[in-house]
Amino acid sequence: MSDLMAGAPFQHSGRNIAQLMQTLLYALLPGIFASLWFFGFGILINIAIAITFAVLAEAAMLRLRNRVSRTHLSDRSALVTALLFAIAIPPGSPWWLVALGIVFAIVIAKHLYGGLGKNPFNPAMCGYAMLLLAFPLEMTGWHIPFEVINGPLTVDNLGIPALTAERELLSPLSWGGFKQALLLAFPFAASGAIDISEFVDGLAMATPLIEFKMAGKSALLAARESGVSLFARESETAWEIINISYLLGGLFLLYKRIISWHIPLAIISTVFVLAALFYAPGHVAIYGTPYLHLFGSATMIGAFFIATDPVSAATTRPGKLVYGIIIGVSIYSIRVWGSYLDSIAFAVLFGNFCAPILDQYCRPRIFGHGLRSKTDRARPNEAPVKS
Amino acid sequence: MSTPIPQQLTIPIGAADGPEITLLVDIGEQVSKYKKLAVINISAEGVSDVPVHAPTSGVITSIENSIVADHSQQQQLCINLAADGHDEALQLEPQSNYSLLSRTDIVFLIRDAGVIGMGGAGFPTADKLSKCAESAIEFLIINAAECEPYITADETLLRERANKVVLGAQILKRASAARRCIIAIEDTKPDAIDALNQALQNETGLDQGCELVVIPSKYPSGSERQLIQCVTGIEIATGHHPTENGIVMHNVGTAYAAYEAIVEGKPCISRFTTLCGQALKTPKNFEVLIGTTADFLFELCGIETSNKQKSIVGGSLMGSEFGSDKAAICKTTNCIIAASANEFQAPQAEQACIRCGFCADVCPSKLLPQQLLAFSKTADTTQLLGHGLLDCIECGACDYVCPSQLPLVSTYKESKKRIENRRQDLELSDYWQQRFQFHQYRVKKEKDQAVSRKAVVPAKPTLAAEPAVKEQNDEADFISKEQASLDIAAAVARVKARRDEKNK
Repeated sequence: MSDLMAGAPFQHSGRNIAQLMQTLLYALLPGIFASLWFFGFGILINIAIAITFAVLAEAAMLRLRNRVSRTHLSDRSALVTALLFAIAIPPGSPWWLVALGIVFAIVIAKHLYGGLGKNPFNPAMCGYAMLLLAFPLEMTGWHIPFEVINGPLTVDNLGIPALTAERELLSPLSWGGFKQALLLAFPFAASGAIDISEFVDGLAMATPLIEFKMAGKSALLAARESGVSLFARESETAWEIINISYLLGGLFLLYKRIISWHIPLAIISTVFVLAALFYAPGHVAIYGTPYLHLFGSATMIGAFFIATDPVSAATTRPGKLVYGIIIGVSIYSIRVWGSYLDSIAFAVLFGNFCAPILDQYCRPRIFGHGLRSKTDRARPNEAPVKS
Repeated sequence: MSTPIPQQLTIPIGAADGPEITLLVDIGEQVSKYKKLAVINISAEGVSDVPVHAPTSGVITSIENSIVADHSQQQQLCINLAADGHDEALQLEPQSNYSLLSRTDIVFLIRDAGVIGMGGAGFPTADKLSKCAESAIEFLIINAAECEPYITADETLLRERANKVVLGAQILKRASAARRCIIAIEDTKPDAIDALNQALQNETGLDQGCELVVIPSKYPSGSERQLIQCVTGIEIATGHHPTENGIVMHNVGTAYAAYEAIVEGKPCISRFTTLCGQALKTPKNFEVLIGTTADFLFELCGIETSNKQKSIVGGSLMGSEFGSDKAAICKTTNCIIAASANEFQAPQAEQACIRCGFCADVCPSKLLPQQLLAFSKTADTTQLLGHGLLDCIECGACDYVCPSQLPLVSTYKESKKRIENRRQDLELSDYWQQRFQFHQYRVKKEKDQAVSRKAVVPAKPTLAAEPAVKEQNDEADFISKEQASLDIAAAVARVKARRDEKNK
C-alpha cells in the first residue's frame, strides 16, 4: 500500500472475527445444555472429538498452506464449525464417524477452497452430508442411555434382539449414562464383560419427525395438561425444548447484531407458510403440523446458526431474503417429499449453490441511483420538512 | 478563543500543479493586515478567483512550497509572512445595511473576501451562490452537523457566535434567493442548539427567518447528500447537483465567513479549528489565523511531544496524516488531532473477509463494500463500476465496523485511482490514434493532390490564413468520412446479421 493511502480511518470499533465466533459459541450453549439434559453425554463427547480433530486438521492445513497457525487458529472459526457439526451428529455415534466428518469439513470443504472466507459451502454441513450419504445407518439413530432390567436379551433366530426385554431409561446425566455414551463413542474400550452391541442395536430412537409423536399436538402442552414436568425425560418435550433453546440463542445473536434477521426470518416463515398450506388434519401422518416443522426438528438451529454462516450465505439484504426462502422451501420439500428425514444440511448446501448469483442480482438500490427522471422526483416545494 | 498572533505565518496559496496563481506581493514587501496577497484563478475565465489576504501585518520573507494541513498530503505554494506584532490593518468597509445589497453585490463581496467552503470541500462560495441563479432555490441548508468524531469546531462557533452565524445564513439566503433557510444540527449538541434558538429569537433579519432542524446523530450525517435526505427527504440523484432539486448547502463556518465578509467587510483570514488528541494536555477550539502552523497550536494546548505518535488533519474517520508539525492551517482545516501512541489501535493483522455484511449495513451510499473488495482484488472494473464504486464517499464507516480489520476505504481509493488512470490512458491513446490516422490521411491526400496538380494548374491561394482553415476543414472532412465509413460498416454488419438469422 502506498504511503498516501495508509491511514484513514484511524478509529476502529475493535470488533474482530474471534469475538464474533466467541459470541456464536455462547449462543449455542443453551441448546447444548438442553441436549445434554435430555440425551445425555453423547453430545459432549461428540463436541470433544470434533473439536480435537478440527483443531488438528486446521493446524495441519494452515501449516501446509504456509499460514501462521497462531493468528489463524485464534479466529475460532474451526471451533464454530466443529461445534455446529458435533451438534448435528447423533449422540452415541462412534468416534471415527465424528472424526471423519469433521476432517472432511475442515480439510476438503474449507481449506481446499482457500480457507476462511473462501469456502463456497458451509463446511459443517458438507461434513454432515458426506456422512449421511456414506453412513446412512449410523447417521439416523438417536441413542438414549438405558439399562436392561430383566436379564439378558433374547435373540431371535435372525440374530435380532427381541424387544420383549424390558429396559429402563437411565437418567441421561447419571454415571451409567456417561459410561454408556463413552462406550458408544469408543467401542474398542469396552471390556469383554459388556456387550457393546446391546447399546448399539438396542435402542435407537429416531428423530421425532419420523415418529410424529407431536404430530397432533405440542408435547409441551400435553405435558402441562397431564401435569408431567416439562423437563422430565418421559414428557417427550426434548426436541421442543432444544429448539426453543436454539431459538433463544439465535435471538441473542440478533440482539448482539452478529447475524441479521433476514435469513432466519425468511427460513422460518417459509417453512411455516408451506407447512400451514399443506397441513390437513386428516393427513398429519404425512405432512405434520407447522409447529412440528418448526420445533420438532432442527429448523431453529438451521435457521439461526447454520444458514447464517456468512461466508457461504448470500451477503446482500435482498439476497439474504431470497436465500432464506430457497432454504425454507428446500427444507420442507426434502422432509415431506424427499427421502431424508431431516433436511437442513442439503437445504443449506443448495442455498449455498444459489448464493453467488443472488449476490449478483439481488442488490440494494445504491443511494442516488435508479431515481426516475428529474421531473418525477419529489418536488422541493412538496417535500415536507421533518423536524 | 482566538490565538495570539504567531511570529511566523505560512499562508497557503495553492498546489503547485493546481490552478494558476497571481501573486500581488513581492518578497521583502511590508504588508498590512487584510492586504490581498495573491489570487488563485480557479478557472481560466476569471470568474472563480479566490483571493488570499494577509492575516496580520508583517514582511513577506519568502514564497516556497511547504506542507499544509489539508487532505491532499501534497506540498502547496505558501507565502511566508514574518509578523511584526503591530497588527496594522487596512480600513475595512462594513456594509451595515446588507439588506440593501443586491444578489450580485453580495456574491461579489463574498468572492472578494476569499470565502470558500469551510466544511472541508473548499469550493468557492461565490461560485456556489452564482450557480443558484440558474435554478429556483427552495432550501438553503446550513450544515451544522459536524462531519466526524473528534471535530467540535462548528459546535464551538455556534456556541460562541450563533447570532453572527444566523446573520450569515440570512445573507447566504438572500444571495441564493432561497425560499427557506434551514439550519441542521445534530441532537448531541444541546449548548449549540440553545445558542441557536436564542439567536433565532433575537433575529433582526429581513426576510422570513431561519428554521432550526435537529437531526439524530448518525454518521455521516454531515455529508452533503445524506444531510439533504435527512432534512428534506429528497435523494439527490448521482451525477446531479443539489441545486437542480432546488437545494443548496453551506457549512456554518461558511455562513460565519459570509457574515464577516459583508457586515464587517472583513476578508477570510481566520477560522475555527479543533485541537484535540490524547497527546495534548488541554484540547481546545481556537479561532486560528490562516497560515498558523500546527506546532504553534500544539504549544498552546500543552503538547507532550514524546507521547505524540501522529498528527492528523480532519476527524478520526476521514482525516489524513500529515508529516510535519510545520504544516499550516488553511481555510478548510477544521480539526487537528495530535494522537498519542495508544489512541488509535495499531492496525491488526488483516483477516479474510467473511462476508458478514456489517459494512453493507452501515454504508450511507447503500453499497456492498464486501463485494467491492472482492472485485477490487480481481481488478474487475466493470463489476466495480456496476456496484457503484464511484458512489463511495470514503466515509470510513465500513472500515470502522469490519471485524476482519480490512483496509476497505484505502482499497477503494486505490481502485478509483487505477480506474481513473486507465480512463486517462484510453483517452490519450484514442487521441493519438486519431492524430495518427489523420496524419496518414493527410499524407495520402497530399500525394493525390500532387498527382492531380500535374494535370490541372492549381488556382492561386487568395488568403494567407487559408492553410490553417483548410487543415481544419480537412480534419472535419476526415472525421466525417471516418464516421461515414463506420456507419457503412455498421449497416453492412446489420444486413449480414439479418441474413444470418434468416438462414437459420
